[in-house]
Amino acid sequence: MGMGTACYVYPGAPATPGIVTPDISFDRGVYMNGSVTMDDGRAIEVWGFTQGGMMGNQFPSPPMRVREGQIVHTNFTNNGMMWLHTIHHHGIEPSTENDGVGHTSFDVDGSYTYQWKASNAGTYFYHCHTNTVLHAEMGMYGALIIDPPDGSKRAFTGAPLYDVEAIWACDEFDSSWHTLNWDAGTCGADVGLNDMRPDYFIISGVDGASSALTDTRAAVSMNAGQALLVRYINAGYTPQRINFGGLSGDVIASDGRPLPNAVPATSWKSTAAERYDIMFYPTTPGIYEVTVEYLHWVTGAVIGTARTRINVN
Amino acid sequence: MKRRTFLQASAAGIAGALTGTAGLLTWVPRAHAATITTAYSITDGYITQPDGVNVYFKGYSDSATGLNVPASSFIVQEGDTVQVTINNTLGTDHSFVIDGVVDSGVIAAGTSKTVSFLASTAGSYLFYDKLNTPYNRAVGLHGAMAVMPTGSANTLYAGSPSFVKQLFWVYNECDPAVNEAVRTNSTPPPLSSYVPRYFTINGLSARPPGAPGYDDPAINSYYDPRTALAGYIGDRTLVRVLSAGLCTHSMHFHANHVELLTRNGSVLADIWLKDVVSLDNNMGSADLIYPFDPPPDAWPPVSTGNFVMHLHNEQTQTSGGGSYQFGAQTSIKFK
Ligand SMILES: [Cu+2]
Ligand SMILES: [Cu+2]
Repeated sequence: MGMGTACYVYPGAPATPGIVTPDISFDRGVYMNGSVTMDDGRAIEVWGFTQGGMMGNQFPSPPMRVREGQIVHTNFTNNGMMWLHTIHHHGIEPSTENDGVGHTSFDVDGSYTYQWKASNAGTYFYHCHTNTVLHAEMGMYGALIIDPPDGSKRAFTGAPLYDVEAIWACDEFDSSWHTLNWDAGTCGADVGLNDMRPDYFIISGVDGASSALTDTRAAVSMNAGQALLVRYINAGYTPQRINFGGLSGDVIASDGRPLPNAVPATSWKSTAAERYDIMFYPTTPGIYEVTVEYLHWVTGAVIGTARTRINVN
Repeated sequence: MKRRTFLQASAAGIAGALTGTAGLLTWVPRAHAATITTAYSITDGYITQPDGVNVYFKGYSDSATGLNVPASSFIVQEGDTVQVTINNTLGTDHSFVIDGVVDSGVIAAGTSKTVSFLASTAGSYLFYDKLNTPYNRAVGLHGAMAVMPTGSANTLYAGSPSFVKQLFWVYNECDPAVNEAVRTNSTPPPLSSYVPRYFTINGLSARPPGAPGYDDPAINSYYDPRTALAGYIGDRTLVRVLSAGLCTHSMHFHANHVELLTRNGSVLADIWLKDVVSLDNNMGSADLIYPFDPPPDAWPPVSTGNFVMHLHNEQTQTSGGGSYQFGAQTSIKFK
């Protein structure tokens, strides 16, 4: 995994322009040796961000949570001798230096402090933007939530209050990609990164074959009469259709912006990197099985399904 | 196939007398409807992909000796009568179709045909060859037309939010196996095994800094003036997005959310602000405005910078199975 073989990378670690004392900060490092055990017993290699340093294996990467109006620092340290990465705060719209896109700024070689302002409450995520086709697939992403300025349990100021929150980052693995080097394909080799054939379907890091039905990283437990906010993130590359198991929700925001009018829905389609915030008010106890169908990008045929549950007590 | 010409895709996005200079499509409304004439020659040839592979394409070209993929776009206004003459120079039958507007029927090998239609409804339209669907379209026989509302130079439809500039983004993908099957008049592989290897906007893929052709707007979609978003604060830019391809895509805009005005030809009742806009499989479309507002999350605030629009189904950011950053992407420059 040396740096010597990569092409079209832009190593750098400048000082942050106009740096100020932040209202909140996060430390992030990189791990490249993680593993997720799927329901069929197979261990799949994953990469991700740590809470600083190189120790950690959390997949998805640890969430960031801030309040609207805050100045945020993401202190990113990466061992550039080994590999290059960035952090792009997806949906956050900062200056070029802080956007985390390698070829418009730099791939972080050492340490860089991303400085940005959280201007709009909502659901975002952060991910690596170096050889992105591979690095995001390998798991280098985590949730990024901006709460309203008062910290209330609402998707945005003026949105309905919620009692229970779920973050569903729905992703797929093509396991054949998970043995590649960090710089695979960058010098022109055909490594198959045009041809995704997913074989595992995941909700918030949990195999959607069966584990996500009960694992509390995905499955929801709530009481009848409570309000649930689902923050749904399409964290993969494949179009998805999420079916809410017979519940009807109100889609109230997308991509960190309120919708002018909420849209009632019992299912919803999304494409790569979209986010939707959906409120549910179940009144009847029961087990509602949520399915996420992954759709072939040409034919629209269902190529995989992940399942979780909303347990209403 | 009649000829074997090796051409780079042309970046001269000029459709005769109908449009302005490359990149910035200017439009001066007329008080009265007019009859607008234009002409294309159906030609073929090879286009060199970022990895050096030459791939066979067909196009509605500006001349019988060139190859334009996509066709040069054109703009008319509501009420105009549009006459398009298509000269099929090839040894195969083709057609010229705008769904719901005009269908030439078969334009036989080696013949010409003129179609005439009324541009009755403002909006963005893909014209394409509907024969051998979707393969003739996918190998390059497609292009874009805009119909402006009567008397307006800066709206998509009567009463829509206004813009300062407008662009077309015609997306396509390329599975060379399909192009080769069309070249040899044989049966292409089924759609379930369609595996594109190249991804383009207005016929071009991106090149990152340091790559051969990086500075060449005739090769690099970053700098193709038909494609790149470039403006000062307030230069609201309408992008007419039309996919000629087969795949579902997901456009991600950096630095600003966009105002999504239409999807698949339908005006949306509510305008959503999105950083990701879906493009449906099999000729999905959207009209959107990139507002060129100051990037809202910059601290300290900025009004200049270099950003990107790329597809977030990231397998489209490759060329020939690798080469991240050589796919369907363009630049967003705040000047
Ligand atoms: Cu990375
Ligand atoms: Cu992203």
